Amino acid sequence: MGKRAAIIGTGQTNHCSTREDVNEMELVYEAATAALKDAEMTIKDIDAVVLANMELFEGRALHDMWCGEGAGALLKHSFKISTGGTSGTSGAISGYYHVASGLFDRVMVVGFEKHSDGNTSAGMALTDPFWDRHIAAAAIGNFALSVSEYMADRGVTEEQSAKVAVKARRNACNNPHAHLQMPDLTVEEVLESPILAYPVRRLEMCPQSDGACAIIFASEEIAKKSCARPAWVRAAVTRHDHIYLGEVKNRLTTMRSLREAAKVAYEIVGIREPLKEFDVAEIYDPLTYAEIAWYEALGFCKDGEGGKLIDNGVTHMDGELPVNPSGGVISTNPVGASGTIRVAEGALQIHGMGGKRQIPDVNLALVTGYGVYCWSDVLVLSSKPG
Amino acid sequence: MKRNSQQEELLRVPVHMKLHYRFPAGAHYDKFFEEMKETGKIMGVKCPECERVLLPPRPVCGECFVRTGEWVQVGPKGTVVAYTSIYFPFVDGTTGKPRPIPYGAGLIQLDGAYSAINHILEEGDPEKLHIGMRVEAVLTEEREGNIGDILYFKTIEE
Repeated sequence: MGKRAAIIGTGQTNHCSTREDVNEMELVYEAATAALKDAEMTIKDIDAVVLANMELFEGRALHDMWCGEGAGALLKHSFKISTGGTSGTSGAISGYYHVASGLFDRVMVVGFEKHSDGNTSAGMALTDPFWDRHIAAAAIGNFALSVSEYMADRGVTEEQSAKVAVKARRNACNNPHAHLQMPDLTVEEVLESPILAYPVRRLEMCPQSDGACAIIFASEEIAKKSCARPAWVRAAVTRHDHIYLGEVKNRLTTMRSLREAAKVAYEIVGIREPLKEFDVAEIYDPLTYAEIAWYEALGFCKDGEGGKLIDNGVTHMDGELPVNPSGGVISTNPVGASGTIRVAEGALQIHGMGGKRQIPDVNLALVTGYGVYCWSDVLVLSSKPG
Repeated sequence: MKRNSQQEELLRVPVHMKLHYRFPAGAHYDKFFEEMKETGKIMGVKCPECERVLLPPRPVCGECFVRTGEWVQVGPKGTVVAYTSIYFPFVDGTTGKPRPIPYGAGLIQLDGAYSAINHILEEGDPEKLHIGMRVEAVLTEEREGNIGDILYFKTIEE
């Protein structure tokens, strides 16, 4: 067991499809300065900087080199995490490790992505040149394959999927940083949106966003001194699974990397009934169907009952376990930052600084990351150091 | 949606790149594609411990962390375990150009194999696709030694 560590500050840009007004360094700088302001620190207080970003999307190599100055990493201990969709949560886990190791007292993590700079579709097409490139249809095509298995196996319906989209885009209206805010979106509109890859429709997928998010981790002594309500990291677990799509049967249904990561995290914290014990969850939902599948993998319900949770409003803002008050990845998706945003939003709920998206009295928050169809991160944040 | 944008338009620099790569296949892909090119056979490789027949064939079984062993012929018939119809012009990773749409795609578990492979289905109408349907690989006449030697999987009646 490492030393205690907590999140004492967060900051993010406003996320949107195209930030024409800034380059990537400025985007990173916006998030970093916002987090420092929130933590009432200056860059001089920071011992180490971890950057998180997806590779290939912006068409530039070594983002830490081009953007590091904007994150205040110059002549500090610094490196970059790049693990696809989990980059942001794995970056946060790395920031936590830095402090938990006892080697660093104040660590800043900055996740970022500027999709509009590059060619996301080209980045996604650069899979295994021998096997996947002839066939791969990016994230959407691969998700669609998994969704067909999931629907057949668990009987989840198109309407249930559409309800997740409506919940996400309506929640996003309470989040001033969110990309897709759609207060009047209806299930019918989601179901009428064009099919990208059967049965997945445009309004069921996450967007591509420009944005950055920063988090500041601190050691116990500093956290207690400088933050009224630190968000203590009680567990941080990451698991990777087979990359080839056909290697794991019923990938969404089983999602064994997420199940395993959650199982281990729950054991560390002593969580037996996640639906009752967590006050809020910020989970990495790349598309609507995945959110329902993750309910099952995370033990919010029995296998096959994920659809009922959304039908019964259990995961709505006023439900037993609000999932993604921020609007989630379905509403905002600067990929390298998407995981960092989940962690920041979870911490924000514990800090009690969630504004219109604040859930009352949050003491225990669940955060997840998801990447490359099969990688998962799980973090448990708490108002109590444990 | 453009938020945070200032009225004034800032410079954008268009860049077009043509890059050339030569990826080494390694012994397993080399044998797989050579066999398919020369004989039309689809070969998987078996893990000596868990005995799963893996596709794509590769040197290590990730579950057991041991070297894979004997080669086993699989297919050419198989079962669709997942399917979709693509209606969005995704980039073809081999040409860099969008693929013609719509088209069917699936995960196909070839007879004798553990892993399913993702490939194109001849049938593109989602109403006519279902999990459990039987399909068979259709190979090109002139084969080049790549996964494109399988043109698509056609629907079969059994």
